Amino acid sequence: MMRQKKHIHTSYNCQVLGCGVLVGCLLVLAPESGWALQTHGAPEGIYVHQLAHVLFMAALGYLYWHTRKTQHRQSSGWRYLQVFCVLLSLWNGAAFLGHEMLGHLSAMDLINRGTWQEELALPFTPTKLVYYVTRLDHLLFVPALAALVISLRTFCREAERGGSV
Amino acid sequence: MNSISLLPTVLVDFLGSALAIVLAFMALGYSRKLVRLEPDNFIWGFLWYLCIAMTVFSLSRGVGHIVRIVLVYFDQGRIWQQLSPLSGGINTTLMISVSAVIIYYHKGLEAYKAVRTKAEKLADANRRLEASSSELVALNTNLEGIVEDRTRDLSKSEKKFRNFFENSHDLIYFSDSDGTITDINKSGRAALRLGTEGEKINFPELFVDATSREKYLSELQHRGFVSDLEMECRGMDGSSRYILLTANAVYDGKGNIVGYEGIGKDMTRLRTMTEQLINHEKMASVGEMAAGVAHEINTPLGVILGYTQLMMDDVEEGSEFHDSLLVIERQSKACRRIVSDLLKFSRQAESAKSHINMNEVIEEVLAVLEHSLGLHGVTVERQFACELPLVYGDAEKLRQVFLNLVNNSQYAMPDGGKITIRTDCRAAALEIDVIDTGSGVPDEVKNRIFDPFFTTKEVGKGTGLGLSVTYGIIQEHGGTIEFESPVAGSGGAGENQGTVFHITLPVVGGAQASPAESA
Repeated sequence: MMRQKKHIHTSYNCQVLGCGVLVGCLLVLAPESGWALQTHGAPEGIYVHQLAHVLFMAALGYLYWHTRKTQHRQSSGWRYLQVFCVLLSLWNGAAFLGHEMLGHLSAMDLINRGTWQEELALPFTPTKLVYYVTRLDHLLFVPALAALVISLRTFCREAERGGSV
Repeated sequence: MNSISLLPTVLVDFLGSALAIVLAFMALGYSRKLVRLEPDNFIWGFLWYLCIAMTVFSLSRGVGHIVRIVLVYFDQGRIWQQLSPLSGGINTTLMISVSAVIIYYHKGLEAYKAVRTKAEKLADANRRLEASSSELVALNTNLEGIVEDRTRDLSKSEKKFRNFFENSHDLIYFSDSDGTITDINKSGRAALRLGTEGEKINFPELFVDATSREKYLSELQHRGFVSDLEMECRGMDGSSRYILLTANAVYDGKGNIVGYEGIGKDMTRLRTMTEQLINHEKMASVGEMAAGVAHEINTPLGVILGYTQLMMDDVEEGSEFHDSLLVIERQSKACRRIVSDLLKFSRQAESAKSHINMNEVIEEVLAVLEHSLGLHGVTVERQFACELPLVYGDAEKLRQVFLNLVNNSQYAMPDGGKITIRTDCRAAALEIDVIDTGSGVPDEVKNRIFDPFFTTKEVGKGTGLGLSVTYGIIQEHGGTIEFESPVAGSGGAGENQGTVFHITLPVVGGAQASPAESA
C-alpha cells in the first residue's frame, strides 16, 4: 500500500513537472509564434514575469508558515530552510520592485544603457534609489541559496546519524 | 557629478550569478544524497524536486545574466536583445514551476504522513504478530512440559493438603449449602462415630443444643464464619461429644454461599478430665471436713458409750431403765460405725497393709454375700485372670470396697440379674470391673454418687457413705475408680442398661500371686 501511494505521488509530480516543461519548451522554441488564438502585446511578458514573482513569493511564504507550524522545526535544518524562504521571498520582492522601478525610469535617467559604462543620472529620486538598490538583488539571492545548502547539509548529517528530522 | 556608475551592481550581478549556480548545484547534491539515504521519505523527495527546479532556475538566470554581461562587454548588445525575452520567459516558467512544487507540498506531505502512520501501525502490528507467533510457538513447544510441571505441582499440593486433612487429629469437614457433609476426615468419622462413607449426614442436625445450632447457622449466614463455638454433638451411636468448632462459609463468584468448611477439636476427654479434677478436689475437701467432724464426735461418743455401759452394770437386767440403756448403747455403737466409715473415707483410719491377691479378696467377699445374692435372684460370674500380680494394700479395707460395690449392684437389681466381676492386669496396673445388669445411674446424679451422705435409698436404709468410703480406700491405695452407665455396648434399651465400676490398683513390681503371700 505504501509503495502504491509513493507511485501515485511520483506520477502526480511528474505530470506537473511535465506540463511545466512543455509550456517552457513552447515558450523557448517559439516565443513569438501565435500558439494562442489571441495575440498579446509586449507588456504581457513583464506582467507574467511579475505575477510569477508574486506567486513565487506567496509559495515561499506558505512554505515558511507550513514549516513553522509542523513538527519539523525540531531540526535546525528546518530553521535554515525557513531562512531560505524568507530571504528568497525578500529577493522576489526586490526583483518585483526593481522591475517596477525600471518601468518608471525614463531614457534620460540611464546614461549609456546596455554598455559597461551605464550610469544612473542624478539627482537621486526614490525611484532611482530603489532601482539602484534592487539591482543588488544577488545580495539576497546568494545568501538564500547558501541557507538552502546549509539546511540540506544539516538534514544529510542527521539522516546519516539515523536521527529524526 | 551628474550621474552614478552602475558598475558595482554589474559586478555583484556577475559574481552573484556565478555563486548562485555553484550553491544551487551544491544544494542539488545534498538533496540527492538525502533521497538516496531515505528513498521512501516524501520530504526528501520534495526537497529534491525543489532543488532541481531551483538549480535550473539559478542556472538559467545566472547564465542569462553572465551572457548578458559578456555580450555587452564585447559590444554585442543586439544579440542579447534577441536572447533577452527567451531568458526572461525561461526564468518566469521556472519560477512558476518552483511555486507549483511548493504549493503542492502540503498535500503530498499529508498523504505521506497518512501513509507513514498506517505503515507504522502495520509494522507495529506485524511486530506484535511476530512476537505473539514466537510466544505461541514457544508455548506450543513447551506445552507438554508446562502441563507436566503444573500437574506435578498440583499433585504435590493435593497430596500435602490430603495428608493434612486425613492425618489431622482434629475433625475437618466440608458440607454443601444445606449442611450435608460432603467430605470428612478419619478423626471426624471417629469423633462423630460415623459409619460408611456413603451415608448422608447433616452436620447441623448433630447439634444437641438447639441454641448452639442456631448460633452456628446464624453466624455463618451473616458473618461468614463462626469461631471457637463450643458445641455438644450427638454421635451416630448416641454418645455425646464436646467439640470446639471453627467454621467458614464458602462463596461462589457471585457471593452466594455454596457450602461450609470447618475444623473442630474434640474436647470430650479434656472436659471429662476437668470434671474429674473438680470432683476430686471436692472429695478431698469433703474428706478433710469429715475427718475433722469424726474426730470431734468420736471423743464425746466414747464418753457416752462408756458411761452407758457403767450405768448398765448398776441397773437390774430386764428393768425398763436397763432396756433404755441398751437402746442408748446400740445407737452409740451405730454412731461409732458411721464415724469409723467417715475416717476410712478420709483415710484417717489406721491401715494394716500387706501383699495381697485381689482374686482371693474378691472371692472372700463373694463367699459371704453369695448366699444372700442367690436369695434375691442375682447370679455372679467370675472372670478372674489366672496369674494376677500382687497388690500392696489393706485387705480389710479392700474387702470393704467390694462389699460396698456388690451391695450396690444388688440394690440396683431388685428383680434379680447378674453381677460380673472381671480382673485383669495391663501395664503396671491391676484392673477390676464390677458389672451389673441393673437400672443404671441416672444422668442427674452421676456427679454426686461419690459424695458423702448422698444416697438414692429410702430413709433409714442407707447412710450414703458406701461409695464415699470406697472412693477413699481406692485413693488411699493409689488407684482410681470410675463408673460407666449405661455399659458401653450393652445394647440395652429401657431401664436395664447396667453399670460398670472400673477400678485400677498399682501392682507390686514383678510379684505374682502365690498362696504363701496371700492375705
